[in-house]
Order: sequence, then structure tokens, then C-alpha cells
Amino acid sequence: MKIDPRLPFSTATTSSLTRREYLAGIAATACGLAVPRVSLATFPSTLVRGQAEHVISIWLGGGMGQIDTFDPKRKGDVKKKQPGAYYDSIDTAVPGVQVCEHLPQVAKLMDRITAIRTVHHRVSEHAAATNEMHTGRATSGTVTYPSLGSLIAHERGGASDISPPYVLIGYPNVARSSGFLGARANYLYLTNTNEGPVGLSRPDGIAVSRQNRRQSLLATLRENARNLDDAKLRDYEEAIEQSIQLSGPKFGRVFDLEREPAELRNQYGGEFGQRCLLSRRLVESGVRFVEVSHNLNFLNGVGWDVHNKGILEQHKLIQELDSALATLILDLEEKKMLDKTLVAVTTEFGRPPEFDSGGGRGHQQRAFTCVLAGGGLQHRGAWGETDELSQKIVSSPVSVPDLFATILASIQVDYQKYLYDGDRPIPVTDGGRAISELFI
Amino acid sequence: MIPISIYTKAITAIAIFCATAVGTIQAEPVAHWQFDHPESPQSLATQDLKTYGAVKFGQAGPRSPEFPDLSSDNQAAHLDGKGASLLALGAGEKGDFQFKNGETITIEAWVNPTSIASGNQVYVVSKGRTGMQKEKYANQNWSLRMYGQNSVAHLDFLFTTRVDKQEPQWHRWRSTAGFTIASGWHHVALSYEFGNPDSMRGWINGIPTDGEWGLTGPTTDPPVVDDDDVWLGTSMGRKASVSFHGSMDGVAIHRARLSDQEIESRYNREGGPRLTGPTSEQMPDLGEIPAGRVLYSVTEQFPRHTGWLHYGETLPAPTLHWQGDAFLLPRIPLPYDDWGIRSRWDSPVLLRMASDVDLPVGPQKLLLRARGLSRLWIDGEKVATTKADTVRYNGGRNPIHPPAQPPLPGVRPRQGNMQEVFAEFQVPSTDKTQEADQKHRCRVVLEVVVGGRGVRTESGEVCVAIETPDGQSYDILRPAGQDRLSLTQEVAQSTLTRIEQDLRDLDATTRRQAAASEDPFWDNRHTRAREWIAQNPPPPVPSVAGPTDTHPIDAFILTKIQHAQPAEQRSESSDAANFHGKILPILRQHCFRCHGEKDQGGLRLNTREAMLNGGDSGSPAVTPGHPHESELLTRIQTDDEFTRMPPTGKGLTPEQVSLIKDWILSGAAWPERPSEAVAVELPRRIEDAAFLRRLFLDTIGVPPTREELDQFVNSEDPEKRSEWIERMVADKRVADHWVSFWQDLLAENPSLISATLNSTGPFRWFIYESLQDQKPLDRMVTELVMMRGSAHEGGSAGFALAGGNDSPFAAKGHILASAFMGIELKCARCHDSPYHSSTQHDLYALAAMLNRKPLKVPTSSRVPAAFFDKQTRESLIKVSIKPNQSIQPSWPFAEETGAKDDDGIDSVVHDPNDSRERLAALITSPENRRFSRVVVNHFWKRLMGAGFVEPVHDWEGQEISHPELLDWLAAEFVSHGYDERHILQLIMSSAAYQRVPVGQNANVPAESRYFNAPDRRRLTAEQVVDSLHVATCSPFEAETLSFDPEGRTTMDDRLNLGSPTRAWMLADLKNERDRPSLSLPRNRMIMDMLEVFGWKGARQEPVAQRNQDPNVLQPGILANSVLTTNLTRASIDSPLAELAIRAESAEQLVDVLFRQVLSRSPSPEEREACVAVIAPGFSQRRVPDDEIQPVPELPQLPKVTWFNHAQSEANTIQTKNEERLRQGPPEDPRLRAEWRERFEDVVWSLVNHPEFVWVP
Repeated sequence: MKIDPRLPFSTATTSSLTRREYLAGIAATACGLAVPRVSLATFPSTLVRGQAEHVISIWLGGGMGQIDTFDPKRKGDVKKKQPGAYYDSIDTAVPGVQVCEHLPQVAKLMDRITAIRTVHHRVSEHAAATNEMHTGRATSGTVTYPSLGSLIAHERGGASDISPPYVLIGYPNVARSSGFLGARANYLYLTNTNEGPVGLSRPDGIAVSRQNRRQSLLATLRENARNLDDAKLRDYEEAIEQSIQLSGPKFGRVFDLEREPAELRNQYGGEFGQRCLLSRRLVESGVRFVEVSHNLNFLNGVGWDVHNKGILEQHKLIQELDSALATLILDLEEKKMLDKTLVAVTTEFGRPPEFDSGGGRGHQQRAFTCVLAGGGLQHRGAWGETDELSQKIVSSPVSVPDLFATILASIQVDYQKYLYDGDRPIPVTDGGRAISELFI
Repeated sequence: MIPISIYTKAITAIAIFCATAVGTIQAEPVAHWQFDHPESPQSLATQDLKTYGAVKFGQAGPRSPEFPDLSSDNQAAHLDGKGASLLALGAGEKGDFQFKNGETITIEAWVNPTSIASGNQVYVVSKGRTGMQKEKYANQNWSLRMYGQNSVAHLDFLFTTRVDKQEPQWHRWRSTAGFTIASGWHHVALSYEFGNPDSMRGWINGIPTDGEWGLTGPTTDPPVVDDDDVWLGTSMGRKASVSFHGSMDGVAIHRARLSDQEIESRYNREGGPRLTGPTSEQMPDLGEIPAGRVLYSVTEQFPRHTGWLHYGETLPAPTLHWQGDAFLLPRIPLPYDDWGIRSRWDSPVLLRMASDVDLPVGPQKLLLRARGLSRLWIDGEKVATTKADTVRYNGGRNPIHPPAQPPLPGVRPRQGNMQEVFAEFQVPSTDKTQEADQKHRCRVVLEVVVGGRGVRTESGEVCVAIETPDGQSYDILRPAGQDRLSLTQEVAQSTLTRIEQDLRDLDATTRRQAAASEDPFWDNRHTRAREWIAQNPPPPVPSVAGPTDTHPIDAFILTKIQHAQPAEQRSESSDAANFHGKILPILRQHCFRCHGEKDQGGLRLNTREAMLNGGDSGSPAVTPGHPHESELLTRIQTDDEFTRMPPTGKGLTPEQVSLIKDWILSGAAWPERPSEAVAVELPRRIEDAAFLRRLFLDTIGVPPTREELDQFVNSEDPEKRSEWIERMVADKRVADHWVSFWQDLLAENPSLISATLNSTGPFRWFIYESLQDQKPLDRMVTELVMMRGSAHEGGSAGFALAGGNDSPFAAKGHILASAFMGIELKCARCHDSPYHSSTQHDLYALAAMLNRKPLKVPTSSRVPAAFFDKQTRESLIKVSIKPNQSIQPSWPFAEETGAKDDDGIDSVVHDPNDSRERLAALITSPENRRFSRVVVNHFWKRLMGAGFVEPVHDWEGQEISHPELLDWLAAEFVSHGYDERHILQLIMSSAAYQRVPVGQNANVPAESRYFNAPDRRRLTAEQVVDSLHVATCSPFEAETLSFDPEGRTTMDDRLNLGSPTRAWMLADLKNERDRPSLSLPRNRMIMDMLEVFGWKGARQEPVAQRNQDPNVLQPGILANSVLTTNLTRASIDSPLAELAIRAESAEQLVDVLFRQVLSRSPSPEEREACVAVIAPGFSQRRVPDDEIQPVPELPQLPKVTWFNHAQSEANTIQTKNEERLRQGPPEDPRLRAEWRERFEDVVWSLVNHPEFVWVP
């Protein structure tokens, strides 16, 4: 059967698909037609549209406190329980826009960055907020919504014939998955940059020679048992072939960070920096959407979820984000990829200016910051305004659907189109409007 | 309180107050609640009270002889202190309960509080401040509360004034005197004339007490009066911190002041001064214990988990007792409700183990392991104790403890957070001749308090052991006459396995005994069902040419095939190929959704005749030969938004439009579909080995063992297939294979961490046990709908939960309708279905039946009005329910199903007034022809690869490929007591099922589905993983599915799903926090494979049909995963290593592997290819014994749990565990590495053989 090169992660034509596509699949089989899936051609002229081809989405699990990072305000005092920022603020490349003192490298690049300071939703619990920020919606019970990565994978496919559309560097969960869009829009994942993606990298301890011996015996056995009468068996055989290729050296090389100059690797920093470096390599190879999870919580145990004493070492997290994000932006720029690659930094929710009994912070979902960089947008350092303690939105609120619409518009996906879960039309975003000022 | 003779007759909750002990007649109280009969919630409601939460009746109340005025069997109500409460129905609106300025209230009650946290006020009875309306948070008219301070309870009276516009003013009075908490029954009373602060007076045990006003202080202002409710036991939205924990009785409200004398007369107590605090400890007298046995018992409602009984407290009779033969217990048995559905223990419980043991005379060293409070008695002497576990969650930063060390080398270490204590005990000699081996028979009793407030009711691995005479080890304590059992790792492990099996048998017995109470009800139902079938018989089995013993299923199938066009008449015309290959699929995809079986606008397009007739517009849709006069073409070509078809989506491609155009031009021919030879010819019967593999996979979910395979293949019994079918459908493991089908269909979605994202309780256990007990399906579904037992412990009540869902019962209505009636209500959640006849009202009426009362549509489930404003043409969707409209419970599917909600249903339910039970009966009664047919269709699809009706969950407008056969099977199902296994056996016995899998039924329309053979089916995800374990003879190893394996939180908070032994038992890890410390690496490793093959742990919605498409990760994960690598390794002492060591020859080894992995012998070519790999070096494969290098054991790592997961070290530990897992188990040192690797390569190749993942 014919494999759509943009969709190397499925040789499928049938039942996982929506009912529409399922029937189309029958038609396709019967007519020998492929199912077209080109969104660029049908992008409505009334919508704003960017020029990016890839997204690197950095996820700060636990909830990044906007007041201690990208939306700094006057300092508070933990001992006196006086609300406010934990750190001093510094000026940035954009006049009038400040960030916290632990973001010095990023501060110099704020002209390539927009901190969207007025993101908001209504969920204060981690799992539900993670779901909201990945799918742009609350759970419904009748539809499992796809993640942003899966939406983009579904709409744009991979950008080369060796690369999957969507790679996750972090733990799998349902919020990150493809929901009703099925396996072909799902992620490949890895949790450790020393290894390739789960299922497609040679296991530890199996040398190449041994792998070859295995493959050759398997090839003989398959040859003996080949049953070409049955389309299902043929499809599976085809999947085996593709899997052997993808777990081979060509795609595997992408994961070999040793190929990068040592100096650059050092600039990126620790495991999180290496994840960012790998995401650049993935994008170069044609991956459309990479999610990089920051929350390894080796630094302070709980990552960005800085209740109580968790806040004491928050600055280390911020510094790690600073060097990795700044290096990624400069590296992409150097490789002439920054305009084609939108870097997004998103999180579950923000944190209030008040301190809890242990000196840390609780959750604040009614106003928090997400960050966009590169991607050919007209950056302005910051967008939207909160009050004097970054507690309430003062102007230009950005809902989660708006944020989704902005990211989708930048990567040229029609953010008002409908997808189908069976019979049921599902808008890509829940009425989101892109921030058009970033596209002028 | 009242004379015994009258008291014992008082049945109603609001009794007429009568003569006091001194004989004076009083004004009647407006309410006097007492709790003399163990009430069911329903019967209580008729007495003007309604219970919430864990209210227990039938508890010992204040009684004679201690209180001689009260009867000796006086009963009280017990409240759990977590929101358990009673609502006085309608009282809030009655003037009798409303007190204004100048009016006097007297409140009195008998109370026996178990605990009140210091500084807390708990509510006995109050009006207002229920917290049900936010703006009315301060509407307290009056209240009697108990204020706890340093173990003493004080009276507390609270009301508010001035809530309107101003800050509320709180007025609180507290008594100076008090009584010791948990010291038995006390009578409390207080009286107040509103507007007169000096009138305040309180009494404890008949003695007046003064007190002090606090908060805003005394006032002459009037109290807040509104129609808010009167509650007993809690307030403020049933907050635990204000909830009464303990027993209460005789709660009365008077509209008059009672005199000191009157109040004093209430309290008449015998006995000396009231003793408080713990009683002196004594070994319980347990009477005769059978020789050689350990007597176990579990007693519920132990007062506290932090201490033993207090004065005045008595222990109820044990709920459960059983016998064993050792002082070792991995867990306490499971509790079941009176239908045999998993419930929860009324915690804490007291676990006792007792036995007569022969102990060696002289000083002995004993070892005791218990999780919480425990004490060990020997012959009346308390010899060892453990303390209550009072560790509390500290933000995930509790200490990480080093792994437990064994007390002596080789001894099994204590597990998890078990305490371990040692005790010396001097065993006395019985006679004067002291001999070395003399023994003394002792009575040994261990008492352990299990569970308690805020902790799970789990015992952990309880053990008592005695040091061996040589001082080198420990033996598990056993009754006299039993052989010794060493507490070494190996012996203890096998003993635990044996005890666990005994416990499972005990659980099954408890469950089945309880369930038996409902058997007569179901026998009646099934008799009625058989009668119904007799009156409504299915179509007769057609007679077909051929052997007389043709299976009925085959008779139906052959009849359809024979009616298909004979081969020689098959239309080979290009017309037919074009129409059925190209045109019809386009129509089907784009038009039939609305114009197929349904006729939007009066138009159908699913026959040529209908097309030519046209719809409501009057003009034909198609004029043959004249495309430009054909409305159909105009509509699909136009850009006009108002008339374009199809109305949504991108529409037809230009190629598709031109195909339609050409078709109309050439006459719009609608030839009959040519029958493809492959669909109507009868393929050969599958060979024995393949049949057995298929049978095993379809029944128990894993392939046969080599022994079973050989036994079957070598048998010459002509009846062997039917015998093995019968054997396999009765196998216990059928539950293990079929449970996941129901988990999918019913959206079972338990959460280990936060119960959001539409998570449910783990009702997997309800399903699993129902299948194990071979519960008739109508009964299983009824019990599911009734949502019984404990929601978080595995009862069907877990189905009711839907974490974070704005309308859980609507979600459940959707699931039930699609799973059991083939009615898809997905769209109806927010609006009427555009492509179905179902409406939003249908769904919410169904949901209201589950709700047992009217239900509103939540605003978040409504299509916003703005949506319709934006539409440019008439919207396909409609919202027919008005905002805030309350939907009444009613049965919406009489027409679709045939079941009517009439008097007939009264006779098949316990309670005709219960709309939920009516719904269960309406779904499962024989009149509901959808239920039986939908279920049978599911089974057919599972075994044959396609349903008679597709999609299986959405029947509307779908054709049935074999209507008579479906009806016949459904009738078989109903008349055989809704027995799933009967249907499986029927299908499996047919010739159709036993043919080679060349069927092409799944992807063709119903008319072309012949079922001449089963479709080829890929293994389910669970089958792949389980088969991989069976093929490599590997035990299933995964971490306990819980982030709190030590039971320090409740099940509602942090679930424990146990240690998986089959793939279906896994659950989504929901590691949204991305923390390595919450990763459970072994489970993750297995899930990686499950998910790639279509399993979903996070079932946010029901899955009627899994994605079974091939994708590159499937062969990828089988080839490269850690799971495959580890299972295909000849690891130390593994069965695979044993196979290799014992092999006689390379050929024999290859043969064994083929049968083991693929259930067949290799072909000569295959044998040759594999032998070529392992023959070299075969004879030297074993390392000589004296050269074998011992494999060092890796040091154990500390345990990571929810309690310590936020420590950085926890991440390091789990990352190390992941790393170890990737390294895999150590190789068997008895095999030479070079040869072993090649051997493993053969095993690897066989599990990667495509054949491995297909059902033969």
C-alpha cells in the first residue's frame, strides 16, 4: 500500500479514523485515492496567518509563578507575609519591559520574545490544568480532545520523510495525546536524552551486530510465512518495514547529541538544556511539534510547584530556564531557523503574590504568563497587563483558546476549522482568536 | 428520659413527648428525634429525616442498667464526623422551628462524642448556616454545638444577627463546665429566650452550668430567621471540621423553657463516678479454638485507631471470622454488601488472630510485625505492642527511609511501613522434669487495629514469629501440631501465596453467600424471561441442504450465502464495479448520514427509486441522463452557503463531483452488488493447533501451554473441539480476558492521584468478580446501574463517579445507552443530535432516572446562544431544552427498544418507586429487544471480527446483515438466563467460527457481510502483553499500582489498585506532574506496549471499538522495548534459561520454542533457519559448574511513595530504578554468553514474528 510520507506513523486507512475518514478510507481503498490532508491550501483569508513551520513547546509543569519570572512586580517580604515578587527586576532589550533578575540572558533577547502576561483559565488542580493547557479545553466525558501537538501533527504532518510529526520529551499522559485524532497524530516519546524514542531505539546492551543477526533471522522467518493474500497482514508487514527503517541509523542520528559542538552543548546546560538542544535537532530533521518538559524536579524536588520550602531553590529553575531558552533562541537564529520555529513556554497556571505558611506560593489561574519567541512573529517583549501584584488582568486578556489560536495561526493552521469525532464536529479551538497584533 | 414501657414502643422519629420520670406533664417538643430501629434511609425519610453520608443506626444508646429510666436495648445513631448527618425534612420552612425575638428555645440531646479536635466546634443540631447557598453563609438562627478543648467537651450555642448589607454579627455562648470526650453518654441541654441575653442557661447531665458570651457578645437584637434547613450532626456544607463524630440520641427542640428540675429528671445514672479514658487491658477470652488452627476475626466500628477501648465502650460481635494455620496474614479479607458487591469496612476494625501454640519452655524471643496499633498476648500476659501510625503527609517531604533490613540473615524483611518489635517471653514449664525439648501449650492472641480516620483499612503483612532454637532464624508462629514454617524469604513467599489464595477463596465465599440472597429474585426474572421468549419466539432455524447436524448458526449463514447471486450469474459489468466501487462510497460518506435510513427534508438517497422520487421540494434529486437537471449535482457543486450539500465540512472534491456527474449522465444505474467469490465460498476448517490457539485467545486471552497444545493435537477424540470449547468457556480466566472489553465499553477510568479528568472509581473489580462468578448479564448490568457498594473500593458505585464532569449522570446515561442499546447520545449532551433522532431531552431524562429526581442541564453543557447567531443557514443542531429547565426522570426509548415503562416493570423490581431501578429493569428486561441483540452483536464481533450491525454502539439507521440469526442468538441469550458463556460456546461451536480467517466482513456494507469465515483479528493490547509473558514463561512483574502503598491515606484520596498480574489490571499513571518520582517504571514499561497496541488507561469516554490499525510503533515496541528485551532474556533461574539448559538438541529446543511462542511446530525451513543460529556451540553452551560466577545481588533502593516523592532524592531513586529496569535482569551464569545471546535472538525473532500478533 501507499504510505503518505507526511504521516509515517501510520500505515492505516481504517477504523481508528473518524467515521467520515473511515468511510473515506473505504472509498480510498476502492478508488485508489489517498485521503488529502492539506490545510495550507484552504487557509481562510480572513484569518491572521504566520509563517512558522515548527513549534518547540517548553512545558513548565507545576505552574510557573509569573510574578517571579516574566511579570515581575514590587518585591514582597516573606517574613512579614507582605505580598510581592521574590526577586529583583531587571530591564530588558525592550524598553519598559522588565523580567526577574534570574533571567539575564533572556532579558537581552526580549525583542525576539513576547511574554503574554494575561493568560487565564479556571482550573486550580494540577492534572485538570495540565489538561486544559494541553487541549485548550476542560474534559467532557464524551470526547477525548487532542493536544495542541496532536492538532498540529494532524493538520500539518511531519515536515520530512524521515520524521514523525510530534515528539514528546517527557512522560506520556492523556493530556498530551491525540484523543479522537487517533494514533497517527500521537507522539513519540522519550524521557532521557541519552536514549532515542521509546519503541524505535535499539535497546541498551543489544549491539548493532546482534541487532543485525536478529533482523536477518526474523527476515528469513517472515519470508517463509509471508501471506500476501490478506491486506491486514500486508499492512502490518509494511509497518514492520517502516519500523525497521525508523529505528535505523538515519533517524537515530538525530538523537545523537554528541554530534554537536561541545561548547554549544555546555551553553545549553544540563539535562533540560540538552532536551532543548535535541528539540532543535528534531525540528531540523522535520519534526513539526516538539514538547519539552522542564519539570525534572531534581533541582528543588517539586519543580515549579513551589509551595512552602519549594520556593527556596526556585531561582535555580529560573536560571536553568534562562540559559536553555536563551541558547535555544540564539542557536535557532544562528541556524536561520528562528523565524520558522515558534518557541512557546507554557505552564499549568501562575502563582499568587502572597506567601503561604511555609514561605512558598499557592496556585493562581486567573492571571499568569506564557511566553512566545521567534516563529516570525512581531515580538514586543510583553503583551497584556496585570495589576500592581500581577493578580488581576488589567488589559488584553488572553484565554487559553486565544493562546491556542495564536500558536496555530503562527504555524499556519486554520484555527477556526472543524475536526470530526465520528459525526461530531469539534472546532480546533473553542472560539479562540489569535492575537493579531503579533502578526502585523 | 421516658419510661421504658413507652420508650420501647416509640417508633416514629418525631414522637409525642410523654410523662417524665417524675410524672409531670410537659408542653410537647416541636421535635424529638430518637433512633430506635435500624432504619434504612428510605424508611427514615418517611419519618421526616434524611441521612447523608455514613450514619449508622442500631448503635448502643444510653441504656439500663447504667441509665435505669431507659430500656436495655435503647439504640442511637452514629455519625462518622466526616459530614455524616441528618436533615429534618421540611423543618426549616416551619414556623415551629423558627425563633424570633421574645421566643424561647430549649434544646436537649444525649451525646457520646468519640472525638472532637481541640479548638473545634461540632454541630449537634442547628437551623441555618447549612452552606447550601453561598450568600447565606451566616444565617444561623440557633444551634447546639459541642466545643472541644483538651479532651473536654463544652456546650456551645451560636446564632447570628444582622446579615443584610452589614457584616454578620456572631453571638456565641460557651459553658464553663464540660465533660470528658469519649467517656460514655451524657445529657446536654441549653435554653435561651431570644432578645434576652441573661436568659441563657445550660445543663450537663442535669446539672446547670453557666458560661460566657464570645465573638460579638450578648445581644438584644433579633436572630436571623429564614427558611434554611434544620440539620443534625454537621453544618457549613458538611465540613468535616464541624461534623459530629460519635453517637447521639434523644435530640429534642422545645418552644418553652424547661426548669432545672425537669432537666435534672432526664439524667438518672447508676454506678460510681464516671470513669474516663482507657479501660485496663486484658487478654480477650475467646473460648475453644479448634486444635491446630488459628482463629481470625475482623470486628468493625472499633472506636479509634490510636488507642484501645475506653470505659463504657463495648466491642460488637465480629463481622467476619475464619480459620488459618499460621500467624501470618498479607491482608484482611474484603467486605461485601448484601448483594455481594465490594463495599468498605466500617473502619477502624479490630483484627484478631488467636491460637493454642506449643512453645518451648524457657526464655523465647518473639517478633511482631504490624502496621498500626497492636498488642500480643500469651496466656494473659501482654508481651509486645506496636503503636498507631500517626505519620501525616508533609507536602511530599516526609523522610526517605533506607530499605528494611532482615532481623537475621536470610529472614524476610518487614515490608513497607510495618513496625517490627521484638519481645522476650519466659515460657513456664508444666512439670518438674525439665527436658530440653519440653513444650508448653500457650494461648496466643494478637490484636491489631486496622484503618482509622484518614488512613486506609489495610493491615499490611502482619506476622508473629519466634526465634529458632539455634538463634539463626525465625519461624512463623503456628498452632500446636503444625509443621514449622521458616520466615526465610523463600518459604515466607510461598506461604504468603498460599494464604493469599485462601483469602481469595474466602472473599469469593463471602461474596457468593451474600449474592445468594438475590438468587430467588433473579430466578424469577429468568423464568419470566423464558416465558416471554416462548410467547415471542425467534425466527426458526432454516433448513439447509447437507448434514442434518448443521449448527443453527451455520444454517442461517448458509441460507444467506445461498441466496446470494449464484457465481455464474455474478455481474461482472463495469457498471456494477463503478457504482459499488466509486459512486456508492461517495454517497455513503457524504449523504447517507442524513438521507440514508433517515430522511432529512423528506429525502432519502439510499435507493435509486428514492432518488428519483426526491424529497419535500417535490423535484427528483436525480434525473438519469441529465446531470444539469439533477438537484443532487447542483447542490454538491454550488458555492451558495445556504443550499450547499453536504452542509458541513469541505464537501466533495472536484474528482468526486465529476464521478457523480458521469454516473448520472450514463443513466444513474443502481446495479446489484456483485458478490465476491471470497465472501461466499466456504473456506477450509482451521487445523487443530491454530484452532486451539484461537480458542484460548478468545476465552482466556493467552495461548495454550505446550502441554495443553500437545494434549489437544495428539488427541484422537472426534469430539475434542466441543469438549475443549466447553472446558475453556468455563475457565476462571475468562474473566481476565473479557474484563477489559467491559472496562472500555463502560469507560472505567480510575485515577491514582487526583480524581479529575472524568475519572471513575475502580469498578473493574465489580466487573471482574461478576465475570468470575458467571453472573448473568442482565443481573450484572442491573447491579451496575444500581451503583452499589463502595465507590473507591471496587463496587459498582464507582461507575457513578465522573471526576470534574459537570453532569456525571448525563455521562453515565450516554455510556449505558450506547453500550447496551446501541443508541449514541454523544451529541445530545449539549444539543439535539443532528444525525440521530435522539434529543438532549432523551439523555437528561435518562440521567434523571439515574439521579432519582429531576435534573437540570448544566450551563457548561449548553451550546452558547452566540453559536446560533453566527450561523448563516439554519443550524443542523438544535437546543430544545430551555435554560434552567428541570428534566423529569422518564424512559425515553420505548420505541427504539420495545420496553415500556408501565406496570409490567413493577413486577421485576424491588422498589417500583426507584427510578434508577426501573431504568435498570427497562434496559435488561426481555421486552428490551435492543439489549439482548446489542450484547449478542458485541460478542459476535469479538469472535468473528465484525458485527451483524456496525457500528456496534450506534444502530440508528444501520442495516443488520443477518437479522434472523441475530434474533435467534438474542433469544438463546435471553432464554438461557442471559449467560454470556452460552453464547460464546454457541458461536465457537459453529463451523463458521472454526474456519481459516479469510473473512472480509468488517469493511463491507451489511448486505455483503456473509460471515463465511471470521475476519483476521489482531491480538488486543492485553493479549499481546499477556501472551508475551506466557510465551517466555515469565511472571508478570509490576509495582503495586498506588502512590501510597503504605495505606497512609484513604482510598478516596490515593487509590490502591494492587499488584497487576494481568495486563488489564494496569491503569493510567496520570503523571501530569512529570515527576520521575511518580513514574512507576515497571508499569510504564508495560503500558508503553499496551498503548501502542490500542489500550487506553485514561478512558475519558466509552470505547466500543478500539483502534486496531497497524502503526510503526507496534512492531517497533515488540522489537525494541525494554519489556521484550527483559522477557526474552535467559535471565538467572528463568524458565527460558531452564529450557536452554535442559534442551536435548538444538532441533528439539527450536521445536519447543515454536510451540511455546506460536503454538505450532516449525516448518522444515523455519527449523533449519533457527537451528542454524543455535546449533553452533550448542553442546558447549553450559558453563562447567566450577566456573559459574555467582551473580551479585543489587542493593535494594529505598521506597518512594506519595509521602516522600517531593524530595529530590526520590527522583534519583526512581531514575535509578528506571535505569536498572533498562539494564534488565542479570543473565543466567550457567549459559555461555555467546551462545545464550544467539538463543535469545531466536526467542526474540519468534515473538517478533508477525504471526505472534494475529489470532490464527
